[in-house]
Amino acid sequence: MLSLLLWRVGILLEGLILFRGFRGKTLAKYPFFYAYVAFALADDVWGYMQYWFAGWGSYARWFWVGELPTLIVGCGIILEIFRCVLSPYPGAERFARIAGFSVFVAIAGFALIYPHTMPAPSSGGTMFELERDLRTVQAIFLVGLFGVIRYYGIPIGENMWGMSLGYGLNVAALLVGSAVRSYAGVPLPGTWNVILQQASYFAALLIWTASLWSYHPNSVPDTSVRLEEDYEVFAARTRSAIGAVRVHLTKAARQ
Amino acid sequence: MIELIFFLLVGALLLFSLLFFAPHKPQGRKDTKPLAEVQQALDVLQLGLLSPELVGRIFSKSDFDYVVSETNKKVQRLFLEERRRLALSWVGEVRRQIVSLRHFHLGSARFYAGLRFLTEMKLAWDFAAVLFACRALRAAVYLRGPYAAPRLVGSTTAAAARVCGISEKYLDFLRPARMISFGDDSAGGSVE
Repeated sequence: MLSLLLWRVGILLEGLILFRGFRGKTLAKYPFFYAYVAFALADDVWGYMQYWFAGWGSYARWFWVGELPTLIVGCGIILEIFRCVLSPYPGAERFARIAGFSVFVAIAGFALIYPHTMPAPSSGGTMFELERDLRTVQAIFLVGLFGVIRYYGIPIGENMWGMSLGYGLNVAALLVGSAVRSYAGVPLPGTWNVILQQASYFAALLIWTASLWSYHPNSVPDTSVRLEEDYEVFAARTRSAIGAVRVHLTKAARQ
Repeated sequence: MIELIFFLLVGALLLFSLLFFAPHKPQGRKDTKPLAEVQQALDVLQLGLLSPELVGRIFSKSDFDYVVSETNKKVQRLFLEERRRLALSWVGEVRRQIVSLRHFHLGSARFYAGLRFLTEMKLAWDFAAVLFACRALRAAVYLRGPYAAPRLVGSTTAAAARVCGISEKYLDFLRPARMISFGDDSAGGSVE
């Protein structure tokens, strides 16, 4: 009952988010995000129709037809966050890009080596394993992206904050759910399924509805005093200052 | 089972980063007068806190030896307590200024398109190492008195080696004119 309620209200919220995006002219600002919501809405409506007219069996048969594209389009949200938040900060963007590429190479290498070292397949279904792996990659990228944003103290507007929080929450919950399901080989008990999968997505929808109700861009940084000269001068001064601290700490320690 | 634990850990890490990230809703670093801020921090460090006379006076045992030779136990305890407070205050202020420098560096580096990934990683590590050394020194002084610091020589020296490496890298950024202008800096020439 709760599951159906979350499903129905979720469809309404997805429609509301798209409507507000259209009214507030934010559709063009965040195309990847709204593409994801549109895919999710289409998937939910299609799934609901399957369930309503043909029952759970039909819904389960068609589940991955809609879920897989939505899962892949979801990667666009990470690109959206990356593009909108980091693009005014070329230094931080470069750092995140190199870190992301390094992580990608590491994951690709792991994916090539892993089947040879651990050949035994898990008992879960292949699609759940694929979902789990994709969610894992998304989670790692999100953690890295959040880390860069936090480390460089990059200002983040309400739209991006809500987008990040909602999607991060959803990915974390779905990753845990798909990992447990893939390991156990059987669906999660009903309550856990509702909590991990539906409630987390519902919470994300609520966050998105509130934070994307109207357009709140990220603040534009004042770069007038941030010339490359500044970086070089500061790098030298930082170097000398840290060196001085080190020397005096050593001196203090030895006395 | 290890596989499951790995995926659960990644999920938990993401949730943790959300907890760390979400409530703050970071508004970014202040963009006002960055050069003035760093200049002030550098002046405080180089001209005040890090002057050899001040450091020597706070951490040298000669004052205590004199007090021991001339006064009773009560005065000695009082002296040690005062000197410990002074040392703690000094370490705290040095740490505050280093945090200020890091703050400015990150605020500047995020705009620099030519930023070097490895250099940034090393610099992050070195800032952390120096700040950790400050904390360790603070803890040692707090627990064992103002003259307990020699026990930190090892960790401080290790941090020094890393800073030295970073310094080498950063010299690549500088044009010859700038190297001259910073070449007479005491820290650059005294790296061990």
